[in-house]
Amino acid sequence: MVLEATMICIDNSEWMRNGDYARRGSRRRPMPSTSSAAPRPRVSGIPDLIASVCWWVQSNPENTVGVMTMAGKGVRVLVTPTSDLGKILACMHGLEVGAEANLAAAIQVAQLALKHRQNKRQQQRIIAFIGSPVKYDKKVLETIGKKLKKNNVALDIVDFGESDDEKPEKLEALIAAVNSSDSSHIVHVPPGDNALSDVLLSTPIFTGEEGGSGFAASAAAAAATGASGFEFGVDPNVDPELALALRLSMEEERARQEAIAKKAAEDTSNTENNNASSSNSDSVMAEAEPASNAAAGDKKEQPKDDDDLLQQALAMSMEDGASGSAAVTDSAMAEAGAVDPDLALALQMSVQDANMSSDTDMSKVFEDRTFVSSILNSLPGVDPNDPSVKDLLASLHSQGEQEKKEDKSDKTEDEKN
Amino acid sequence: MDAASTAAAAAALATPAPAPAATVQVPRGQVDLIDFIDWTGVECLNQDSSHSIVNALKQSLRDDEGLYLASDSDEQLLIYIPFMQVVKLHSALFKGPEEEGPKTVKLFSNKEHMGFSNVNDYPPSDTLELSSNHLIDNKPLPLKYVKFQNVRSLTIFIEDNQSGSDVSKIHKIALYGTTVDTTNMKDLKKIEEH
Repeated sequence: MVLEATMICIDNSEWMRNGDYARRGSRRRPMPSTSSAAPRPRVSGIPDLIASVCWWVQSNPENTVGVMTMAGKGVRVLVTPTSDLGKILACMHGLEVGAEANLAAAIQVAQLALKHRQNKRQQQRIIAFIGSPVKYDKKVLETIGKKLKKNNVALDIVDFGESDDEKPEKLEALIAAVNSSDSSHIVHVPPGDNALSDVLLSTPIFTGEEGGSGFAASAAAAAATGASGFEFGVDPNVDPELALALRLSMEEERARQEAIAKKAAEDTSNTENNNASSSNSDSVMAEAEPASNAAAGDKKEQPKDDDDLLQQALAMSMEDGASGSAAVTDSAMAEAGAVDPDLALALQMSVQDANMSSDTDMSKVFEDRTFVSSILNSLPGVDPNDPSVKDLLASLHSQGEQEKKEDKSDKTEDEKN
Repeated sequence: MDAASTAAAAAALATPAPAPAATVQVPRGQVDLIDFIDWTGVECLNQDSSHSIVNALKQSLRDDEGLYLASDSDEQLLIYIPFMQVVKLHSALFKGPEEEGPKTVKLFSNKEHMGFSNVNDYPPSDTLELSSNHLIDNKPLPLKYVKFQNVRSLTIFIEDNQSGSDVSKIHKIALYGTTVDTTNMKDLKKIEEH
């Protein structure tokens, strides 16, 4: 965990009197007159937040946290950066709401407080909870951001409460100006029936500063799902075993789906190879058949699957059920045919031939070298001048001739009879 | 001693040098202090993270013309270099592009953890005004030796650059001097034999 000194800027302006967010249910004393889902003032959710931040900060015992207000009696530092959690929680008592928040001054004061930190080796970070509208314009915010970047201070912003039309963009611009190699983040929390601290627990501000792509999206999603922002709707702190079980089953499901996708991909590539080499065709078709059958079996277990590859596999397996092993090549050829209408016609003819007689007729079609080479030319990724392909063609042809001879001998025998 | 060293340096350059990137004439009796830099404490404020301070200081990186130190938000840079032992600083060498190389350089001795806000609160131990020639000359510039007798850490403040552009670039920073505690006499003799 990175060694950090953090200053938390709390917005305790008049805007915070509005009640947008539910309080964190489990810890509050039940109020007899009002229901527990009634909106409480925004500011009352803050102490839980601070407590959560402190829990995170404790990951490195040398981390320090300080708290300051942006409004109320003015921009004041309540606690200079310290690792004593008692002091931090105590200062939250008697937090008054009033006046307007002064963001620029607050950030400057936070910078100064961080500059005079005791341990100079700590990285500097400011976490600002901004609930009131932002009255500065973008340029001013960008200069503030540049100054922070110049002094190597990271900034995290929690945008909640009042959302006038430009506030998210302004704050995004501020973060963009401060950000150097993903050190600064912004989280937008839309108003809803969920506790502010729950939503924030799932964002990278709490889960650590490394990575966190789409954290705004995850926060928004978490807020949208309501109740709690946890992955499976279960708080790992409350019920760790259930959360673990849910996570494991999710991963198993994902692994299974990946295996099927892989098999489907193998199927399609295997069946395309079939069109080029009938000498391998029987063996490969036999191989592809059990593979696609297995895929079909798995497919039926998972009806709700949006992956294109999987749908293909599903289609293949359905056709497989209809008309035996030839159907495997049918669907693949149909897929190749979709690309080229001439090829589609040719394939149709060959399919009809195959359906009418046995598998060996397939090889008759392949005997026609011109037809085969035309197929090969239209297939992507197959170079007819490739020596290995030429060899295959030669072997096809000889096998075709052999089978022709066999057929002829059979026919002559029949004729004799 | 200063006059002798600068005369020797001038003489060396008078003989046609093949390229400016030829070997530096280390001033007589001084050593390159790169071996005494405490790398864990080296900091640079307002540096571009992809062009960091090590490109200008470290042995192999600083001689690579493609690697340089660049500034980020604006043209100022604040470099903090602590040493592993107390040193005396004699001269400094800066190499950079003619356009974006540093112009006004302020050196502070033994001031820990300065920021851009208080950099003008203290008088610098020395100020260098670099011209474009200095940046390509490969010649160490002498400092006010008396001010750098007991240096534990050095702060280099680059105030602006040659062309006034938004980005300052430095290819190489080299510091020459002697150590206070253990002046290795063998080393000293070798340099004098040059």
